[in-house]
Amino acid sequence: MSSALERRVRTLRARSAVRAWDYRQRRHARGAWFRLRRVLADAKAAFVLAPEDARQLLEVGCRAEPVGREFDPPKLILFAPAERVARLASARKVPVRLDRDVLSAGYLALIPFDPTTTLARA
Amino acid sequence: MAFRDRLLATIRAAGPVLESADVLVVGSEVPNLLEPGLASTLIVSQDLDIGVPISRHAAVKARLPALRPLLAPSADEPSVWLPHSPDLLEVNFVGIDPAQDPADAYVLDDDQLPLLVFGALSLLAPGADIEVAGTRILLPRPAGLILEKLVTDRTGEKGDRDLLVALGLLMTSAGQDYDELEAAYRRLRPELRHTVRSNLTLLSLLDAREGMPDPRPWRPNVAALLRRLEAGERDQP
Repeated sequence: MSSALERRVRTLRARSAVRAWDYRQRRHARGAWFRLRRVLADAKAAFVLAPEDARQLLEVGCRAEPVGREFDPPKLILFAPAERVARLASARKVPVRLDRDVLSAGYLALIPFDPTTTLARA
Repeated sequence: MAFRDRLLATIRAAGPVLESADVLVVGSEVPNLLEPGLASTLIVSQDLDIGVPISRHAAVKARLPALRPLLAPSADEPSVWLPHSPDLLEVNFVGIDPAQDPADAYVLDDDQLPLLVFGALSLLAPGADIEVAGTRILLPRPAGLILEKLVTDRTGEKGDRDLLVALGLLMTSAGQDYDELEAAYRRLRPELRHTVRSNLTLLSLLDAREGMPDPRPWRPNVAALLRRLEAGERDQP
């Protein structure tokens, strides 16, 4: 019996057990990171906002993404049309990545991709 | 010696096994071989993964002596065959068991050619056979290969590169491949479907890396794939 292969099998099975545990927790706090990534995956662009500008977007009907409340401190994350975000004085564009800019932002406006885009490249 | 030349020379050296029925080239070299002119521009690990269906294990073993002039099994791990020359890559034999659970793994024990049988490889189906360096090789169908990359836990730099390999395959795929990908995805159990979607969100947020496809222009397409897979999905956290 190859001990190296057996060790790899044990490692793979351990990972599989962790994955199953992660999956069972998907509706709880541990799943928040997936939900945040999922929201960001739909965003063509991201802008950090001042609180008053974010509240202005809420007032015109933009919906807060529930995942923002799953973090402490909570974040106000909302999708908004690009032209409306462009009119906000505080809007600062940041890369759509799980990096410091996005994670430290308390107020984040996301511009959605065109929902009619298909899988195949145009 | 350029990586492409080493890859082609390794395929030639492993030809007797690669031309054995049902044996597949698997792993990250496949998108390199699918590039126009076998350009092999993706920077991946320096080995050639050979997928051996467990039903073909004996037949492959019988052909191993033909590899001996240029390759020899590692003393530490006989499923890895090491080249005698730096102009070749390592050859890594892995097992394929179509009946296996995609999340599991086991060892097919054998003194001469033990195989680590990865469950995720059960998602592969034989696809095109192409001629490379005078050797006929069988490649997996793109959909199964993409799903195999997406159903496996991905962490760290290697994990990111594996996801970009999946992206490279998505970029060269067409309508029928996407249909096959979706159909195979729907056959997975919910936990594995979640892993696929989770890996796609990771892929969507990756930065560009040298020697790999730039994921940023493909973000809308990844989002479209997520929407397509989520359609009708009842188990969304």
